[in-house]
Amino acid sequence: MKNGFDIDSNDNALFVTEQCNNNCLMCCQPPSTVDDIEALYQKNLQLLESAPEGLKVLGITGGEPTLLGERLVDLIVEIRKHLPNTAIQLLSNGRTFKDADYAHRVAQAAGEEFFVGVPLHSDYLKDHDAIAGSKRAFEETIYGLYNLAAEGVEIELRVVINAMNYKRLPQMAEFIFKNLPFVSWVAFMGMERIGYSVKNQSLIWAEPNEYASYLREAVMILDSWGVPVAVYNIPLCLLPKDCWIFAKRSISDWKIKYSKICDDCAVREKCCGLFSTSAKEYIGLNRQS
Amino acid sequence: MKMQYHLLPFDFTRIAGKEILVNEVGDMMVVPEGTTQRIVDRQMEKDDLYKSLVANFFISEDLVPPLLDVYAARLREKKRFMDYFTALHIFVVTLQCNQNCVYCQASSRKEQSEHCTMSYEMMERSVELMFRSPAPVLTMEFQGGEPSLHPKLIRFGIEKAEEKRLVDGREVRYVLCTNCVNLTDEMLDICKQYHVMISTSLDGPAFLHNANRGKTDSYEKVVAGIEKARKALGNEQVSALMTTSVQGLSHPVEIVDEYAKLGFKSLFLRALNPYGLASDNPDWEDYTRKFIDFYKTAFEHILELNKRGIHFAEEFAIIVLRKMLTPFSTGFVDLQSPAGIVNSVLVYNYDGYVYASDESRMLAEKGDYTFQLGSVFDRYEDVVYGDKVRNIAEIWSNEALAGCSDCALKTYCGADPVRNYSTQGDMYGHRPSSLLCKKNKAIIEYLISLIVEREEEVVPIFKTWLL
Repeated sequence: MKNGFDIDSNDNALFVTEQCNNNCLMCCQPPSTVDDIEALYQKNLQLLESAPEGLKVLGITGGEPTLLGERLVDLIVEIRKHLPNTAIQLLSNGRTFKDADYAHRVAQAAGEEFFVGVPLHSDYLKDHDAIAGSKRAFEETIYGLYNLAAEGVEIELRVVINAMNYKRLPQMAEFIFKNLPFVSWVAFMGMERIGYSVKNQSLIWAEPNEYASYLREAVMILDSWGVPVAVYNIPLCLLPKDCWIFAKRSISDWKIKYSKICDDCAVREKCCGLFSTSAKEYIGLNRQS
Repeated sequence: MKMQYHLLPFDFTRIAGKEILVNEVGDMMVVPEGTTQRIVDRQMEKDDLYKSLVANFFISEDLVPPLLDVYAARLREKKRFMDYFTALHIFVVTLQCNQNCVYCQASSRKEQSEHCTMSYEMMERSVELMFRSPAPVLTMEFQGGEPSLHPKLIRFGIEKAEEKRLVDGREVRYVLCTNCVNLTDEMLDICKQYHVMISTSLDGPAFLHNANRGKTDSYEKVVAGIEKARKALGNEQVSALMTTSVQGLSHPVEIVDEYAKLGFKSLFLRALNPYGLASDNPDWEDYTRKFIDFYKTAFEHILELNKRGIHFAEEFAIIVLRKMLTPFSTGFVDLQSPAGIVNSVLVYNYDGYVYASDESRMLAEKGDYTFQLGSVFDRYEDVVYGDKVRNIAEIWSNEALAGCSDCALKTYCGADPVRNYSTQGDMYGHRPSSLLCKKNKAIIEYLISLIVEREEEVVPIFKTWLL
């Protein structure tokens, strides 16, 4: 969403800041230090004036939206005035919610139909912190998740698969079941080849055909424990067939593209496709018949 | 070069050529032999095993583990069965019985016997005591003898509970433990009206069940009773329990098949216990050894059924596996620490006295009132927080018992002061010579060995039991 709502789009989101308290090695939208919060807040209030009532989902994204502090609570209150029944999807690294009182205020303002998407990068704290580019990120995110869960907020746990974490995806799946069994679902996500993932590619980039077997094992572990699981952003031709049922058409409609090789593909209609924003296509795309 | 990290509390044991590490919340890691020594000597490499030890709370890179509060939350969940205190309340309605089981654990008497049935006054007072328990969901279980011989008394008890339940907004679940031999329409009407679950006992195929019951037609009647109850109440309202008699030890496969044939989805492979008439069994050591073999043979057969696509579970294993493989608490009375007695169960006996457990009142039938906590006419506080319970509470946690506290399997097992007392003469017990310890350890080790040696085959089956 650039300058207005599109009720037919699956991607209506309020962009609230470019600042972030993490500095993830594969960030697709690298943070800035410019203080943009108040200006964007005012802009978003204006946008809300034209919010269509039947809107199904409204995202709040950044940067890290919780850096707005009380302004985030205010914004959610405003959203609820215009869109009482719309699902609010907040994308956050969860760290600020280590403050249980803040988690409570945000959850209270949002009410029902509120879920938070939070990335987790590893079950081992130092790997998580290295990927997030920030010390104490792991523990603050985990405590944030506990506080959100205590508020009854729905949580989508997001695992962006990269070169620094894919070998522990199965261990991570067990860790999630044991320590975060309250999450509503877990999404494993392919990287977008843009921003830092290009800049840091020698460190962070991994191809689906490198990590597919680890991903499969992790998906099966969570599924066998009854934890809902999804795979985002990885084309079906690069996924083991028994993982197809978990794959979602996850890429925002305005960002989807298909490769030439997809032209006569039998599963094109079911496939998430590719990021039009990615600098390069995944290796090994192939036509399914 | 030595690595710098701190040890968190964990125990280890050796099973199937591996070291099994178990932490305080029951998370288990299977590692190569010698790993514990390397961990203690700070000789780890910074590899995946090292990262897993940190992630799973076996070692910490910081003096205070960063996720200490998460670990605490997980321990709290594992001990959640204690949150609401006593949930299961057993009402021994009568000792009268219409069967004559060879191993009777409840010292039942003939149908016509007098002075062994609860009075209406005692029933009412027992219900009042039950409602003093703070649990938001209470289970009122009718036992005997054969409680269905007294449907009017049961109806009276349920009606009293319903009156009180409606006043303080609690949920009460009812269970009738009956041999199903004589389930009258009157009894079934009560069950239907108040959603009473039926828990019956069936020991296996006809030849075995009848031999155990000391009757020739018991099997036929029980199976007919089960059918009648299922028709009246629905299949899921009827469950069955078996007890492994000495004769039963030779028929593990037949017993499992009988349960599967009758459409039950699970079975509790239950050993005899040394109470009531059952303690006349001469050689407990021999029985225990044979029971362990019996359990394994039956369990292998259950795994076979599952591989053939028949969903069928073993209940003892479910308790252990839930503790071992999931982060969740179990609500079972056995295999808990602190022990299930008083914390999870109280027994209101036909004689008007309150006992710590089912087994405790069986001891009383032998003239030993050690676990008689008080009369139903006493104050609740004096019964539940009196001197007797206080003394038992000293030794009802296996974390604080010699022989248990450093056992790697303690989080999967439990404390049982009553059993220690009845078999070893003191509540504290002596683990090296305890047959209960021997049995539990053997079965838990067997389950772990299956996970170590046949993970891909057995773990998917176990997960279907736990979901």
